[in-house]
Amino acid sequence: MSRREGSLEDSQADSSVSLLPHLEAKIRQTHSLAHLLTKYAEQLLQEYVQLQGDPFGLPSFSPPRLPVAGLSAPAPSHAGLPVHERLRLDAAALAALPPLLDVVRRRQAELNPRAPRLLRRLEDAARQARALGAAVEALLAALGAANRGPRAEPPAATASAASAAGVFPAKVLGLRVCGLYREWLSRTEGDLGQLLPGGPA
Amino acid sequence: FPAAPPPGLECLRPCPQCLSPLFVEAWRECLVSLDPRAGRGYTAVISPQDPTLLIGSSLLATCSVHGDPPGATAEGLYWTLNGRRLPPELSRVLNASTLALALANLNGSRQQSGDNLVCHARDGSILAGSCLYVGLPPEKPVNISCWSKNMKDLTCRWTPGAHGETFLHTNYSLKYKLRWYGQDNTCEEYHTVGPHSCHIPKDLALFTPYEIWVEATNRLGSARSDVLTLDILDVVTTDPPPDVHVSRVGGLEDQLSVRWVSPPALKDFLFQAKYQIRYRVEDSVDWKVVDDVSNQTSCRLAGLKPGTVYFVQVRCNPFGIYGSKKAGIWSEWSHPTAASTPRSAGCGGRQENSMNLGGRACSEPRSRLYTPTWSTERDSVSKKKEG
Repeated sequence: MSRREGSLEDSQADSSVSLLPHLEAKIRQTHSLAHLLTKYAEQLLQEYVQLQGDPFGLPSFSPPRLPVAGLSAPAPSHAGLPVHERLRLDAAALAALPPLLDVVRRRQAELNPRAPRLLRRLEDAARQARALGAAVEALLAALGAANRGPRAEPPAATASAASAAGVFPAKVLGLRVCGLYREWLSRTEGDLGQLLPGGPA
Repeated sequence: FPAAPPPGLECLRPCPQCLSPLFVEAWRECLVSLDPRAGRGYTAVISPQDPTLLIGSSLLATCSVHGDPPGATAEGLYWTLNGRRLPPELSRVLNASTLALALANLNGSRQQSGDNLVCHARDGSILAGSCLYVGLPPEKPVNISCWSKNMKDLTCRWTPGAHGETFLHTNYSLKYKLRWYGQDNTCEEYHTVGPHSCHIPKDLALFTPYEIWVEATNRLGSARSDVLTLDILDVVTTDPPPDVHVSRVGGLEDQLSVRWVSPPALKDFLFQAKYQIRYRVEDSVDWKVVDDVSNQTSCRLAGLKPGTVYFVQVRCNPFGIYGSKKAGIWSEWSHPTAASTPRSAGCGGRQENSMNLGGRACSEPRSRLYTPTWSTERDSVSKKKEG
């Protein structure tokens, strides 16, 4: 079976779901939300690197891209998957991000206690990831493409172990999580754009 | 590699990442540290990890490479500090797998999250990192001052100490207790009126002294201020007088009448209010202050310029509450109230019953004609109770 890009009309042909104006409106709304949150994620990343100090903000900075529990970056093959599958992966990533962002926030509260804006951005990011993830899952349910059966819970991020790690690895971890947050938001925005009538917005 | 560590199996070599469940496949990380040819993860360890140091002190650090992959020896390694490459003469190869670094006369940390000391491979890739905290222990906080708004709360402010900047995150904690009994309490609402301030919103006792002090703590030590002893009644302030009205005094061109209301929050308490008035010409920054307006709620300003807009403010000092002998604390100034004096009758209009100024222009200052004065009018209802 060949993989192909999908739009809302293709979804309708596949699943025989009749086009509802409110569904299209919901897709647009969720896409706009993803677009907005992508910009916030960029601001979060910029503020984060500034407060960790150089070399974190330098263009040449390339720390080890260590894997993060329960979450990886979008795979190169992601773009070739059917749109429903891509959105399922997006929703799963958005569900895995909040506990990681919480761990980063708690660590940053120790490292940068006088940076209330960064701490607030991290707190907001966790909340926003949950909201967007829920919106994507609702769309998938409306399209008849939701996951069947229990969803796997993301592994709990243990704050105490994060505290035990050295400060430099903790800074790198935070950078990795903020980077993954931005990547997945951007990916979700792109995938939702595929659902809009006419293709990408 | 196996997907998960076998139960009960521990990492056989020191591996900073092995303890962190945030890194998936910890066993893989452990194996990576044993076999850097896997090409992932941190393949070296810096010692010491995250040290705290005094400004001006020295540091001897080592970067020890794990495993035995081709090329992964101490040769070719280098250090950066906050992104800047350190001169090679500061480094020395201790053995095949360890590069040492000697830093002297350290400066204070550039950021509170710590200076980033990084060990790099020859190709620039990051092998390990450690964060340095270089600073000073806190100095004794000084100049604690406190005030109570209408006897309902207590706000205190202090100064960090002679030098202030410690280059390390320094935590300040305001403590207080009743002098003769009671446990130590800690203020919880910080930064209410500036970076070094705290607000105690409730549950304060009157007629009994408090002891108040500030404790400063950072990674290098702690310091405690002298104890300030005060009674809430001796440091009371209040709101600015409300309803300040400024009006003309008939046609008198050099006078304005100022009236206000005493602050309502303290109206039920025995106190002798003092007031101050200040006023300025509209386009001037120089205020003139009228002092010693005692227990009255009106005042007449005289000696003003005709045809001029004036801004007027009033503030209150509720001294002597419940017999307190202390001076009290002035409130904030009320919002500016504006009014204008009447134009001089001699300015282009008919002169009736006025002095012939002999051709003097209206715009010339009148200060040579008389000395500015002010007068008061006693309020018909005196708030002063003879004690």
